[in-house]
Amino acid sequence: MRNKIVFVLCVLAAGILCWQLYNILLILPNEKDQGAIYRIVYFHVPAIFTGFMGFFVALAASGTYLVTRNLKYDAFAAAVTEVSLAFATIVLATGMIWGRIIWGIWWTWDARLTTMLVCWLIYAGYLMLRRAIDEPTQRARLSAVVSIFGCTDILIVWKSIEWWRTQHPGPVLSVREGGGMAPGMEGPIYWNWLALMCLAAVLVIIRMRQENISREIDSLRRLAHSY
Amino acid sequence: MGTISVGSFLNATLAIAAKDLRSEFRTKEALNASFAFSVVILVLFSFAFDPSSEQLQTISGGLLWLVFSFAGALILNRSFARELQNDCLDALISSPAPAGAIFLGKTLANFVLLMIVELASLGVFAIFYDSRFGARLGSIALVIALGTWGITVIGTMFSALTVNLRMREMMLPTLVYPLLVPALMAAMTLSTDLMNGTPIGKENMIWLRVLAGFDFIYSILAVVFIDVVLVG
Amino acid sequence: MIDQRNFIYMFYGFAAAWVIVTAYVAYLAVRERRLREELDRVRRMLEESEKKA
Repeated sequence: MRNKIVFVLCVLAAGILCWQLYNILLILPNEKDQGAIYRIVYFHVPAIFTGFMGFFVALAASGTYLVTRNLKYDAFAAAVTEVSLAFATIVLATGMIWGRIIWGIWWTWDARLTTMLVCWLIYAGYLMLRRAIDEPTQRARLSAVVSIFGCTDILIVWKSIEWWRTQHPGPVLSVREGGGMAPGMEGPIYWNWLALMCLAAVLVIIRMRQENISREIDSLRRLAHSY
Repeated sequence: MGTISVGSFLNATLAIAAKDLRSEFRTKEALNASFAFSVVILVLFSFAFDPSSEQLQTISGGLLWLVFSFAGALILNRSFARELQNDCLDALISSPAPAGAIFLGKTLANFVLLMIVELASLGVFAIFYDSRFGARLGSIALVIALGTWGITVIGTMFSALTVNLRMREMMLPTLVYPLLVPALMAAMTLSTDLMNGTPIGKENMIWLRVLAGFDFIYSILAVVFIDVVLVG
Repeated sequence: MIDQRNFIYMFYGFAAAWVIVTAYVAYLAVRERRLREELDRVRRMLEESEKKA
């Protein structure tokens, strides 16, 4: 059953991405100032949504683990954080390329960029911690605490730098005030978001399966050594 | 935790803080290492930047907090690590003192130690970099106290978390520094402003709130979760 | 026709995104294979110890 879900999600994600790729490259009109590179936003922004959500999902999963002590929630938190790290890397990479062309600089310490970088560092620290602990229960317990602290931190970082220097483009989506995109150009962002969420779900399911295999190996090994 | 009276909680906290401080003052290892490290950084930075230049005005706050956080790492690492010998950590956990009291006691001790190192470093900074901030000493002291509390709360918490890990010395900074970003940013901005003559006014009040909020939120979170970390 | 200004950089941007996704998927695939091999090995070891016992 689960394999079927994975397959369907994969096909859905691939389908939407191909359709949108066609849309983005051939149908959409040109933007006045930036040239072709503005089309990168159609991967950059959906990746941000997907990568950021990882935090809150991992927070919920970690909290649930601490309450229920069921290791499958820990496996879920780890899988979600790892997949979110991949998406956060995409955000930073595409953002840096765009910034180099449009602003002339690879990096600047503005609100959103700093938030994303801190986000990335916290994810990476979480994964490094998991690698440093062998015992499953201890690993689950400690990484749950790190996840909770990390998520709180990101919220603080986000709110506090909203009042700081802002070089990053302001909100352009029409759902937030000050929208600046023509109506026909906004669609692909949401479609791509859906596609990336499907992709993320597929990756999380695969990763979780690997966590379960890993735990099975651990328990079998323990059983074998008890003979 | 059961029914613990506030009085006995405070007693336990202060007892543990006093124990850590007493133990540290006997050897002064961490204090000396920490202070020496911060002096070295300050000296090296004075080679990199011309102390009298305009450039220094803008980075003074940042430099100061960089020095404080690196020096702090030395003190914080030892905080729970010193209990590993002779199973002192197990003894501490199985004592009647609640985990929250153990944590707060150690945080308090680390806070005092780090403040000592910081105030000494501040003096060195004022000398090397010819910085005059006597007029706003009160505000600066407040910012330093708040920032230091933030560093010690997170640092002590993660010292407890990483105490049993193989790569403790590497994991502690890796985990702690990203988390400290909001507090350090706030402290750096406020310190730079204060050292250059701008008092805490309408514009940088937000950073003071961020710092206070950070301290408040994480103090509570840490006391809540220290049980999970230490005991399980 | 698509705007030609900065076209090559758009390509780099898209390429970066896809390379990262592909790299992660490849990493997952390698990890999966290694885990399955380990699982088979441990299962075999368990059978052998059961036979001996």
